[in-house]
Amino acid sequence: MAAKKILVGSAQHRTYKAVVWGLALLALVLVAFAFNDVGQITLFDNKYNLSLTRINKAIAFIIAILGLQVIIGYTGQIALGQSFFFGLGAYITAYLVQDQNWGYLSTLAVVVPACFIVGVILGLPALRIHGLYLALVTLAFAAIFPSLVRLDQLFDITNGSNGKSVESKLVAPDWLPLDGIAGVLQGIPYFGQFFGDGDLSSREADRVWKYMLFVAVAAVCFWLVANLVKSRPGRAMQAIRDNEASAAVSGVDLARTKSMAFGVGSALGGVGGTVYVMELGIASPDDFSQLLAINFIVGLVVGGVASLPGAVVGGFVIALIPDWASSTQSVGFVPERWLQGPTGTLFLGALLILLTFFLPGGIVAGGRKLKAKFVSLVPQPPDLPNTPTAITTDDAVDDDVDLDAIERANQVQTT
Amino acid sequence: MDVQLLLARIFDGLANGSTYAMVALALVIIYKATTLINFAQGEMAMLGAFIAYTAWFNFGIPMWGAVILAVILSAILAALVERVLIRPFDPADHLPLVIITLGLFLGINSLAGLIWRLDPLRFPELFPSGNAIDWGTARLSWYTVFTVATILLSLVGLTLLLNKTKVGLAFRAVSSNLESSQLVGIKVGPTLQFGWALAAGVGTLGACVFAANPVLQLEPSYMLRVLIFASAAAALGGLDSLWGALAGGLAVGFVQSVVVQYIPWVPNQMSLAAAAVVLLAVLLFRPAGFFGTAQVSRV
Amino acid sequence: MTRLLDVKDLKAGYGPVQVLHGIDFHVDDGETVVILGANGAGKTTTLRAICGMIDTSGSVNLEGGELVGSDAADVVRLGVAHVPQGRGTFPELTVEDNLDVGAYTRKDNEVAADKEKWFETYPVLYERRTQTAGSLSGGEQQMLAVARALMARPRLLLLDEPSLGLAPIIVSDLFERFANLNDDGTTLLIVEQNARLALGIADRGYVLESGEISAQGPADQLLNDDSIRKAYLGV
Repeated sequence: MAAKKILVGSAQHRTYKAVVWGLALLALVLVAFAFNDVGQITLFDNKYNLSLTRINKAIAFIIAILGLQVIIGYTGQIALGQSFFFGLGAYITAYLVQDQNWGYLSTLAVVVPACFIVGVILGLPALRIHGLYLALVTLAFAAIFPSLVRLDQLFDITNGSNGKSVESKLVAPDWLPLDGIAGVLQGIPYFGQFFGDGDLSSREADRVWKYMLFVAVAAVCFWLVANLVKSRPGRAMQAIRDNEASAAVSGVDLARTKSMAFGVGSALGGVGGTVYVMELGIASPDDFSQLLAINFIVGLVVGGVASLPGAVVGGFVIALIPDWASSTQSVGFVPERWLQGPTGTLFLGALLILLTFFLPGGIVAGGRKLKAKFVSLVPQPPDLPNTPTAITTDDAVDDDVDLDAIERANQVQTT
Repeated sequence: MDVQLLLARIFDGLANGSTYAMVALALVIIYKATTLINFAQGEMAMLGAFIAYTAWFNFGIPMWGAVILAVILSAILAALVERVLIRPFDPADHLPLVIITLGLFLGINSLAGLIWRLDPLRFPELFPSGNAIDWGTARLSWYTVFTVATILLSLVGLTLLLNKTKVGLAFRAVSSNLESSQLVGIKVGPTLQFGWALAAGVGTLGACVFAANPVLQLEPSYMLRVLIFASAAAALGGLDSLWGALAGGLAVGFVQSVVVQYIPWVPNQMSLAAAAVVLLAVLLFRPAGFFGTAQVSRV
Repeated sequence: MTRLLDVKDLKAGYGPVQVLHGIDFHVDDGETVVILGANGAGKTTTLRAICGMIDTSGSVNLEGGELVGSDAADVVRLGVAHVPQGRGTFPELTVEDNLDVGAYTRKDNEVAADKEKWFETYPVLYERRTQTAGSLSGGEQQMLAVARALMARPRLLLLDEPSLGLAPIIVSDLFERFANLNDDGTTLLIVEQNARLALGIADRGYVLESGEISAQGPADQLLNDDSIRKAYLGV
């Protein structure tokens, strides 16, 4: 089948974009109600949970992975310790809300600068030396986080091994007619059954409210990162990733740009942690172990490195797969013994290796290839007769030119 | 100052430090060959220790025979891993390789959990029990003595292997100049494979000795902390120096058991954090470690 | 004279960029042949293609055996030693280890004797045999690289811009040594920008321009060719 060609910048393109964004927005709203209380899929006698709680958790992970996109994806610095900042954000929020009576969202005023500064500090080795030293340091700090928050000296703040729970609840405001919307959706013939069986309880309404808050926080984060990537510092980041030496001789301030990337990426990790505590109402030490740090890397790679949609896909993968793997109690010929235990982690590990081999751009790149079969965005031909055509490649890169293939061809040649 | 207590702490540090040094040694071997840090090194070693346990417990092989068998098997497994998962990638591009080793980390850790479950197992004692020195609270157990002996013997063996054999020469050549190694007829792939096998063997030996510690039990997560200490040790020693790994391991061991004990405001649970801070400080102020080769980057 | 190396329609490049567009040349047994050319003409690529370090098509025939398609590590075993640009020594290894590693492919028991021979030829290497190669001066490293390559007892020695980055007085000494090597029976294929020096010790020469052979002939004839004098000798 020939792909439909759409000219970038044409009226058709604007319609296309509006439709895509409209559908995405509609999906976001529908998800809130659809998965509130009947969020469950049954496949081969196994029940898979898809409740809003899971989705809210996924949003927290998505924001953290977005931070990794800034550090690893766009700046090329291999930092592995995002769980450290996720945990830091979570504990700061929990402490401020529980002990200092702050509002949840206002804690971001502390979380963001704190994680930014710590991120810059842990990134310092990368300013002096190349290679995997940064990976080593950051993974080490991810590993020590649980024992840090268990320190006796910090007990008053962190509540040690018990975890810091937060009593303050997020309550849906009265002016929001959540119940009414749910009623309307349930009234739709046939499709109504997917939107629950009765009225929203207040707990359910609170959950939807939280979901909306989280989506809003995430949207702001994505908007900021998308703009950062296109900005001057963002291009400096990508120059460093592609070739540090030539970036330096082109006048990019390596130390400042890298520090900024570490700071922004780590701050996003902290925001993710805040969202996590808002959803769970507790921050416990072992939730923020090096396993979570590695899971974030899984999310980054599985979704797609240096891709903003990749962060979304990755967040869902690491929020849902371990959970689904443990709810899988029977799979055809596999003996039950092998389904009990850390199957989710095994699955993520295997996924990580397989994707690195077969789909280096992650699921998003796979999706792009699939999309290219149906719609292809064609860049505007240059207007001026003497404009060199090379200029348009900038736009083309955006979507469908398979740079990876060329890159891979290069690597094959040189090895 | 209580001399007996100080000695007791030093002896503790010696035993732990030697274990860290073993795993650090494994990290150093792979780093020397490829400038890659194998984040799955601790887990590969853990798997080796479980293989030794199974050979001993389920198949009745004498314990040292089981350990040797595990060392050989894990070396073979690592050679396979290198061939299948590592070699296809460009060695200069770190991210895919790091991702692969992280995937291995998750895979091995969860596989061990599935196979051996999560209950702690009692590893057989490899060394005579009792103490070599018994002076009040200052006790030097035979376990510590033999652990130190194991790392020393491993180091001497490795040094001889690398400096006196042809495959050792090839290994050093590849780690010094990859392209010229090809030009003198060295097959780079198999040489790096040899490095992976060697590292896994050393790591497994270290993991077995560690698991034989009378105060420890064998479980899938028991090497997680060790990897962090070992990384700090390897960085301290310079990441590409074999004897630096020993020095770094002992230093981290002493920091953990001696320094942390004597600085009043540093709490007990801080030993792991101390290792991480040592790591950060070393990389900031002396990136080449204390025995390593300074890194030069050419444009 | 027997033909040692016969290159036909050699094409090579890096990924999508083709550098050599089908070149033909040959080296006879006992000859010194030089390939001249400016930066980017494809000189280094030619040597890398012969050695199997990059993807290549065409034919590279060494005494009846085909080299195209062989692995770099195997080309050495077939008798071609290569001193790459920028010396290609092993900086962390001692001088003696460098020589030993040069004999990596050999299985005979005359390695020690050969080492002695090179220590005699280049006494400075003997003095520094326990130092690391990285601590030597540029000229000493180039000597070491040549000795290292010859430890493999090659039938053909490839030299990639041996004069690069060396002081003129060291360079002329070095080329004198190359001439001596050739007198002792080693066949040399040298790639150079320093045309006068290289043609001075060569039997024949080729001129490479943008991946194609633009001129060839006996060395003294090339030395007197007007266009070559203009382009490469700066007269």
